[in-house]
Amino acid sequence: MENDKPISGQEGLHLIQKMIFIAKQEQRNDGVGWIWWGWMLFGASLFSLLNARYNWVSPYFFWDTLGVIALIYFIIRSIRYFSGARRKVVRTYTGELIHKLNIGFFVSLLFIMVAMNGVLNPMAGFPMLVNLYGFWILVYGTAMNFRPFIIGAFVAWAMGIAGLFVKTYEAVLLTHALAVLGGYIIPGHIANYTFRKLNREVGHFSV
Amino acid sequence: MFKDLDPILHSQLRLAIVSLLISVKEAEFTFLREKTNSTAGNLSVQINKLKEAGYIDVVKQFKDNYPLTTCRITSAGVQAFEQYVKDLHSYLNIDVNIDIGISSDGKK
Repeated sequence: MENDKPISGQEGLHLIQKMIFIAKQEQRNDGVGWIWWGWMLFGASLFSLLNARYNWVSPYFFWDTLGVIALIYFIIRSIRYFSGARRKVVRTYTGELIHKLNIGFFVSLLFIMVAMNGVLNPMAGFPMLVNLYGFWILVYGTAMNFRPFIIGAFVAWAMGIAGLFVKTYEAVLLTHALAVLGGYIIPGHIANYTFRKLNREVGHFSV
Repeated sequence: MFKDLDPILHSQLRLAIVSLLISVKEAEFTFLREKTNSTAGNLSVQINKLKEAGYIDVVKQFKDNYPLTTCRITSAGVQAFEQYVKDLHSYLNIDVNIDIGISSDGKK
């Protein structure tokens, strides 16, 4: 791009649109985190459900395994964050909101998980978790203006409400798995598809 | 034809810089250079012109012994950009609908 190249009005408008499009693309999420986290939760739910029926290992084996994986992941993320290895070259208001939202979500998640290991019955604990997922997804989807996540939040809440009224632990795990499928996995894959498609469009967007 | 358009913004690279900054809170020099596909020298000169006009704030610091330049648009820059888009609109006499993520009171 040249510094003082004269531009026509149409070129000016086209340039403005292109740069705003590029800047907004920086704020989009590729959905990979949602897909990984979603499939891990989904797998833990389904394997725990099967384990409850066939008694392979201890009842919380798959949740404990997931917890250890998540803990290792967050330790690595924290080290990379504080060492500046993945420092962002652009900061957005939306990005800062999402960052704070994530902190709030994981603190609340930890709160419920600690309660589930003590005073809170898992039959009520899982719907509480799903309720929290719905809140997180709704705010995230609204901030990113991405409708699949907004719809996913209501799917999660529907499953959370269903989880409050089912009678068996297996059914609670099933509602949890379905909430994760509708709230995380499907919107995550749609976000990933949209992200890759828009990235290709940026490449074709010429001045 | 464009005699009334803001001469600071009516330049390809400066307009690109402001259009990028209007959509974010702040951006580093490397981000702007990559997205505008410009040279460091050109970009530096145009950033200084925008800074002198009061359209952007520039913070220069060091991180791990490397220079780190961060830019963000000012409220004067937001107003100038909005006016520029309106002026282009009236010159071209077309219905321009550019979503710049800014409310009518100028806040992002």
